[in-house]
Amino acid sequence: MDLRFSEQDEDFRKELRSWLDTNLPAEMREAQFWSSKSSDESFQVRREWEQKKAAAGFAGIQWPTEYGGRGGSPTMKAIYDEEMAKASAPSTVNPLGLAFLAPTVIAIGTDEQKRDIIKPLLHCETIWCQGFSEPGAGSDLAALSMRAEPQGEEYVLNGQKIWTTNAMHGDKIFTMARTSSPEGGKRHAGISMLLVDMHQPGVEARPLKQMTGESEFGEVFFTDATCLQTDILGGEGNGWATAMLLLSFERGSSAIAQYTEFRKMWDEVVSVASQVDRDGKPASQDPVLRQELAAALVDLECLKYHSWHVLTQTSNGKDLGFEASMTKMMWSETFRRVSDAYEKVVGSGFQVTDPRPGLSVGKLTNMAMWSRSCTIWGGSQQVQRTVVAERVLGLPR
Amino acid sequence: MQFQLTDEQRALQDAVRSYLRDKFGPTQVRELYENPDSEGLPAPLWKALGEQGWLAVLVPEEHDGIGLGLLDASVLARAFGAGAVPGPWLGTVLVTEALRVAGSKEQQAARLPALAAGEVKGAAALLKQGSSPSPAGAPATSSGGALSGRLDLVDYPEVADVLLVAAQDGLYLVDPRGAGVSITAQQSLDRGARVGTVTLDGAPGEKLEGSSPQVLQQLLDAAAVLVANDLVGLARKALTDTVEYDKTRVQFGKPVGSFQAVKHELADLHVAVTFAEHAATYAAFAADVDAPDRQLAASIAKSKAADAADLATAAMIQFHGGIGYTWEHDTHFYFKRCKRLQGAYGDAAQHRERIAGLLIDGAPAADEISGVTAGGSADMQGSGVAAGAAAS
Repeated sequence: MDLRFSEQDEDFRKELRSWLDTNLPAEMREAQFWSSKSSDESFQVRREWEQKKAAAGFAGIQWPTEYGGRGGSPTMKAIYDEEMAKASAPSTVNPLGLAFLAPTVIAIGTDEQKRDIIKPLLHCETIWCQGFSEPGAGSDLAALSMRAEPQGEEYVLNGQKIWTTNAMHGDKIFTMARTSSPEGGKRHAGISMLLVDMHQPGVEARPLKQMTGESEFGEVFFTDATCLQTDILGGEGNGWATAMLLLSFERGSSAIAQYTEFRKMWDEVVSVASQVDRDGKPASQDPVLRQELAAALVDLECLKYHSWHVLTQTSNGKDLGFEASMTKMMWSETFRRVSDAYEKVVGSGFQVTDPRPGLSVGKLTNMAMWSRSCTIWGGSQQVQRTVVAERVLGLPR
Repeated sequence: MQFQLTDEQRALQDAVRSYLRDKFGPTQVRELYENPDSEGLPAPLWKALGEQGWLAVLVPEEHDGIGLGLLDASVLARAFGAGAVPGPWLGTVLVTEALRVAGSKEQQAARLPALAAGEVKGAAALLKQGSSPSPAGAPATSSGGALSGRLDLVDYPEVADVLLVAAQDGLYLVDPRGAGVSITAQQSLDRGARVGTVTLDGAPGEKLEGSSPQVLQQLLDAAAVLVANDLVGLARKALTDTVEYDKTRVQFGKPVGSFQAVKHELADLHVAVTFAEHAATYAAFAADVDAPDRQLAASIAKSKAADAADLATAAMIQFHGGIGYTWEHDTHFYFKRCKRLQGAYGDAAQHRERIAGLLIDGAPAADEISGVTAGGSADMQGSGVAAGAAAS
């Protein structure tokens, strides 16, 4: 048992902190800065900041240097995640490309794909969307019905994707489509992963308004859209295996970024609790609310310990395998728990952005709503429970 | 960064598990259940604890101990929880720890070697029944070295040779067979243990010279951490046995573990027990390295372990069906051990209140926290959560 980081890792932390101190504008660390901007404006600001960060070498922390990455360790990636969250740095504009597509291309892409995709992605010149879910295929991805018909040197795509993050800002989309019918009832066969340009007449993105009122995700319609037959990742008909490989790159995630973010949220909720009234006293003195807040804190700290556990395993070269589903369950439920505590602290004041004059809690309210989505996307809580029960505990199907 | 047991700690874990597998199992626990009037301490078990050094774990080497830390002791506690192991191991280890942190050189030299060898058994009374885990809950009062008070729910008072008692002005060692001490045995729901009420009426006590409220708090936290480890040991055992049973128990033509209603609850339990294991491990380590958050960590561990064990042992009964409610099955050993321990040294709610006291009452004033009052944002892009959570 040793919770210290190596000198080399601490040097990296210092270097990153120092760079952030100099290069992350103070205003960007404040909620007000972002609330004064439209969605498009804030996306553009984040993109430019991320490009500057990539140019300074703080991107692709774990990627090999030959692809413009830093060639770092899982520990360095965890330190990076933690420091970015601590500094309230803007979130990435290219989450799906960075976390999923790039490592998959590095692992199984062709030389041309590596050359064409990696660097523009890392420098946010190309924003990638993920086209998995369809109206009839959410948790049941293999039920997808989008088709890609070979025609000359191209595929012709027809179908619809939905709940697509960054749909309105995307330049390209990695998407799952049927290139042939399922054979002999094997639903996972005949699916391919295609890399499609979103700036073409056959692709139309429409925003979807979320319950927060924002449109961070959308729908993507394909009407005789095309891509080259070489724009296939992992080979024709191998889409399912490619998708499983792609999703496996999430497994190394230690959830330290989520812990850091949600712990800051908890601290803010405690501050709010000391300012809102309950029976003539601060809500923070209410014994039931104290129990709620403390219970949320307990799970938060347990999430931190779990991130150390994950980091220990990955640093020692172990694949977490399906245990990664637990990590997702843990952080998304902990986030919900902090959000639930917040909702109870403000009580009926939850419905307005300033439950007490001078106290604005819009950001917390938005986070509380956002927490409702985190137990759905990326594998719903119900799907994760089944995975943990069958693949980790070994219960029969 | 290595958040895991060392090789030496794993070897200790293997040794204690191997001993229990070969020498002390559910059959031996059942004997205690069937003979509630026995002293509740199988002699071969106690002998082995002494011989293996498992009572000497916290005793410094200069006093014939092995001088390890709370994490090593926690490895033992966890295995004892999983095995529903009876006996005054915890009481004895707490007496050694009290001597280590508060005893004079003379007191240590006089008492530790016999405790380390298992020749002297200990019992501890550090909190009034129902009290939160703080020095204010000391169950005895002292007057000129004579102790008085009613000490409830003391583990193994009848076999103990020395009694550790917290009074308002410090820690005392009392001879349980001496003047002014009377012991009334009580039947515990957990027949794998023996408990009783000790009444002190002017009993002579030997004060540990280094006593202070800080030392008592440290001892209460050590006790809570060891109990937390016992609880996560039994929680994991309850969950594992239930999973194994539900893999093979067939109803409606299928193993019951294939039903989603069962699967999902067991998956949630696995998460809860894993969290509790991490917390119990960290709390022990935090005490060993005197981490700034050691008190917080102890309360996190105790509250999480109590809750997880409560859920896991209840689920063990439910997901065994009818057989799980029988005397013949082992389910109730774990359920009842959990009931005995989940409130020991502060229950989950008391530890959560302590966490609130540490972090909410001690929290910085509102205006010292940036970002909260900054604008009624309908935008969360800048929070780092919006898409960052997906991409981390």
